[in-house]
Amino acid sequence: MAQDSSFEQRQDEGISVFLTSSALDLSGVVASVKSPKAGALVLFAGTTRDNFQGKSVTHLEYSSYPPRALKTMLSIAQTMKQKHALTAITMGHRLGVVPVAEESILIAVSAPHRQPAWTAGEEALEMCKEKVEIWKLEEFEGDQGGVWRANRDGPTHVPSDLASSNDISR
Amino acid sequence: MSDPPAQHFTILYFASAATYTQKASERFPAPMTLADLFRRLEKSYPGIGEKVLTSCLCTINLEYVDGNEDALRSIVIKEDDEVAIIPPVSSG
Repeated sequence: MAQDSSFEQRQDEGISVFLTSSALDLSGVVASVKSPKAGALVLFAGTTRDNFQGKSVTHLEYSSYPPRALKTMLSIAQTMKQKHALTAITMGHRLGVVPVAEESILIAVSAPHRQPAWTAGEEALEMCKEKVEIWKLEEFEGDQGGVWRANRDGPTHVPSDLASSNDISR
Repeated sequence: MSDPPAQHFTILYFASAATYTQKASERFPAPMTLADLFRRLEKSYPGIGEKVLTSCLCTINLEYVDGNEDALRSIVIKEDDEVAIIPPVSSG
């Protein structure tokens, strides 16, 4: 699914969300939210770290349920745009292998003033991490296979005593 | 993905569910209740209920379904439906 070179996008007025198997384009995402009406532009770039809890990470691999993930991303973007009166918002996530120091997620928001832009950028990221149907496989140096990571604040009705049992090593 | 054979639905597995079943998807005969589906999965993949499904959500045709016991018994999966097992997510 994520192996082919692919790009899928959903759009609404001032809103763009996408999934891609290619390297994320920071300047393109910034350009997509620029507007003469916006005095503030905030870009968040999440990149692959070289370690997790003391273990060396060689790369991350993301899989997704693209039609469901895009639906969730669009809904988050619409909620953020309305709540914070944003000028524009773009959210993109890379799928497949993401090498260390490369971006896995970009969120760019623009607004007339800085406060709503900062706030919306942060809230959008937290909502993505909580809800978007994308899964991270961490590959550690020297390991066979990898570990499916679950973001700590997953869906609310997942019992916390069971959440950890979901990290099944291959 | 090609269309499922007549009278079947497709189930998609992601992340830990795909690891446990060693499959990305498979097909089962329709109609079937969600409760029957989960019983069938437990039979095919012993332990999947406790180790995987309890922490997962479920969608039918991209919409989340309620996981309470009554709902599981009353929700019927129909021919050509797309069911997905959604483990706790980890984007970002």
